[in-house]
Amino acid sequence: MNNLAKFTIGIFLTLGFAWLAFVVGARSQYGDLTPTAQVLNEDGSVPADAELFPLPMSGLAKQGAEEYAALGCVTCHTQQVRRVEAGFDVDRGWGKRPSVPRDYVHQEHVLLGNSRIGPDLANVGLRGYDESWFHQHLFEPQSLFPQSLCPPSHFLYTEVDEGNDVVIEINSTDESKSSRFVKPSVRATRLVAYMLSLKQDYELPEVAFVESAEEVDLEKTEIVATAAEPTGQLPEWLRDQMEAGKEVYMKAATGGGMCFTCHQVNGQGLAGQFPPLAGSDWVLGNKDRLIKISMYGLMGEIEVNGVKYNNVMAPPGIPPGSLTDEQIANVLTYIRNDWGNSASAISAEEVARVRASLDGRPAMQMFTAAELTPPVQ
Amino acid sequence: MSQDSPDKIIDKSARLVFSFFISSAGLWLLAAALLAYTAAAKLTDPFFLANFELLTYGKVKVAQANAFVYGWGGNAIFAVTLWILARLSQAEVRGSVFLILAGVIWNLAITFGLLGILDGHMSGHEMLEMPTEVWPAMLISYLIITFLALVIHRSRQVRETIAPQWFLLAALLWFPALFLIAWNGLELNTARGTLQTVLSMWFGQSLIWLWLTPVALGAAYYLIPAILGRTIDKYYLAIFGFWCIAALAPWSVVHHLEGGPVPMWIPAIGTVMSIAMVFPIAVASTNFHATAFLDVGKVWNSLPLRFVIFGTLSYTISSYIGVVFSLPAVAKITQFTIINEFHFNQRVYGFFSMIVFGAVYFALPKITGREIPVAAKNFHFWTSTFGVLLLLLAYLIGGLTHGVLAGQPTLPWSSSVIASIQPYFMITKFAFVILGFSQLVFVINVWKVIFPNPFTCCANASKEVNA
Repeated sequence: MNNLAKFTIGIFLTLGFAWLAFVVGARSQYGDLTPTAQVLNEDGSVPADAELFPLPMSGLAKQGAEEYAALGCVTCHTQQVRRVEAGFDVDRGWGKRPSVPRDYVHQEHVLLGNSRIGPDLANVGLRGYDESWFHQHLFEPQSLFPQSLCPPSHFLYTEVDEGNDVVIEINSTDESKSSRFVKPSVRATRLVAYMLSLKQDYELPEVAFVESAEEVDLEKTEIVATAAEPTGQLPEWLRDQMEAGKEVYMKAATGGGMCFTCHQVNGQGLAGQFPPLAGSDWVLGNKDRLIKISMYGLMGEIEVNGVKYNNVMAPPGIPPGSLTDEQIANVLTYIRNDWGNSASAISAEEVARVRASLDGRPAMQMFTAAELTPPVQ
Repeated sequence: MSQDSPDKIIDKSARLVFSFFISSAGLWLLAAALLAYTAAAKLTDPFFLANFELLTYGKVKVAQANAFVYGWGGNAIFAVTLWILARLSQAEVRGSVFLILAGVIWNLAITFGLLGILDGHMSGHEMLEMPTEVWPAMLISYLIITFLALVIHRSRQVRETIAPQWFLLAALLWFPALFLIAWNGLELNTARGTLQTVLSMWFGQSLIWLWLTPVALGAAYYLIPAILGRTIDKYYLAIFGFWCIAALAPWSVVHHLEGGPVPMWIPAIGTVMSIAMVFPIAVASTNFHATAFLDVGKVWNSLPLRFVIFGTLSYTISSYIGVVFSLPAVAKITQFTIINEFHFNQRVYGFFSMIVFGAVYFALPKITGREIPVAAKNFHFWTSTFGVLLLLLAYLIGGLTHGVLAGQPTLPWSSSVIASIQPYFMITKFAFVILGFSQLVFVINVWKVIFPNPFTCCANASKEVNA
């Protein structure tokens, strides 16, 4: 300790070991990751005609990433979905699967972040928001989420009169104020392009979507396998019906279904309490009993995919039992076709027919599983 | 003290340099306080100053951290390290002109760096957000100062070194090493993908553990025995504590990457090493507190020592909290929450700054020969104590609330999770106001003894400035 040279060597050695591991070691372990196919050949090679993921970022999105860094967005937003055992990220619907190092190989500035005063943005491009929604949020987040702490970025926009075709309408949450119209600057356009480019919606050899990863028994793998095609290829009428159904599923106010509070946003339910809808034999099976449950609710013991649940499901809707035939048709079509599910759609006419068949049953009298099995066909 | 005592001569040689660094540190402290208030106010009202792009939250927050660590922290480290090394070596501070020149470059570099951040040239790397253009100036000025500090150490009268010297020298030398590693990996040979994050996270956290922390520990190892007139209790443990920090801290910091898109062994090693950190924490805590509690009355009556012991207690308690938070089961809740703010403010304010305050109040009267009014010092101590405790409690409780609510997937984000921690943001804003006043008093205290008012002061003091 008394010889300065020896002391210096000592303290640099201790630092050097950590440097060897985290910088040299990690770099040689995964510093040369490249995009790859979703599924590899059996010998581990990349199939010749496969599309390689992650896809490269567009030039506009890359410029948007620079704006994102310059504005310090990373101070409040992360861009990483943690592994399932390390956090709630997938449960919250922030991603279909955990993020892996390969997802970031195209990014010049990796902005993982370490603070979440705002939500995670790793998959913000997948949440179904369109460009004008992002512009409205960027201009004034409080016009969409009144309690948001995200700073309004008026400086990226110029206020204009209505009429121009590139303007964005900003609806105020304050009823007394009329809507405003703004024109996005180039920088705002870049940022929005960047937001829309953020999506980890592909599987990689090292990571699968969480839904399918959990389903191991054969019966369910079959169901999932048939549903692999993305919703983008569905016919338009079905997409519309699913969209309307999703709204019912997610709406926790009068006229909504509030289904997600128990069955969760990802349709997985809660272990031991609420059965899953994803891959459920009750959801994908007989239509009539599903419609009946959606009208009158269900109580008592029920077995879903071999697991027993014992709870009460009040007649869905706010107020209870208030869902219309069309709403029921939409929401059931939605749950039969999201989260990897794929089953035939249900129409309002079918619901009306079941409702008529139950004429005389007192409102609010919940079904029991026993009443519905064996399946009434 | 006679006019010719060696300590007096050393203090005189350090006078110009110490005054320069500590008065510029004070200005940075005020700048950081102003930025901290602005950032906190923006979290309670997002429309506060929202029309100025320069002052958007992300930029202000980052500028505040940089002003605090490099501006205040850097200058304070130079002042305290140079003086303590000179005292322990019984050698005069040489090359004052070069030290001050380097100090001016350092301060200019940070000024341009912060303006660069506000103007939208942030680099996006943790604690290295200042634009790369100012990095060479920072490194060169830092190396000049380090070189002259080593010159002091080399001309020491006693060959045997003691604990404060190890910690101060190690901190001086680690910073440029960390800086070069980060510079190489982030800019010169830019790492691909999430390797960048591993490196910038490692740098940002190591900066706290291997730069600010050892300086504060070294100052405490010097001040506690010096003020109490005792030797450190169980001093033989200190060398073990030092090498534990040197060996474990650079490994432990990466536990913050738990669950993220990096190889699993990285956060796993971090967690194991964080747990092992209980040894150096226990050693420092034993050394400081076993010594201090032998004479509690004296600790209470000496204001510098009160600051130092507050710092060491805060170091002990929150380092243990940090160990608990690094366990994966707990990290699941606390990761990514405002508990990060708790850690940062606890380290940089509750620990490092409090010890530096103590060191300055101890050194300044000796160096300038002028006393600071007791009431002013006491006001600073109590407002700082209250402000820091309020701030840390708000971030701690708010952070736990944040984590627990975020873990309920059905709760909407802004209207439920973030709305629930809003009251804690109000408290932090209030705490930053108190701390701002507290820091203002500190700066006035310091400036008044360094630059006595020529109009009220008689001829005896005003001519001594040029040492």
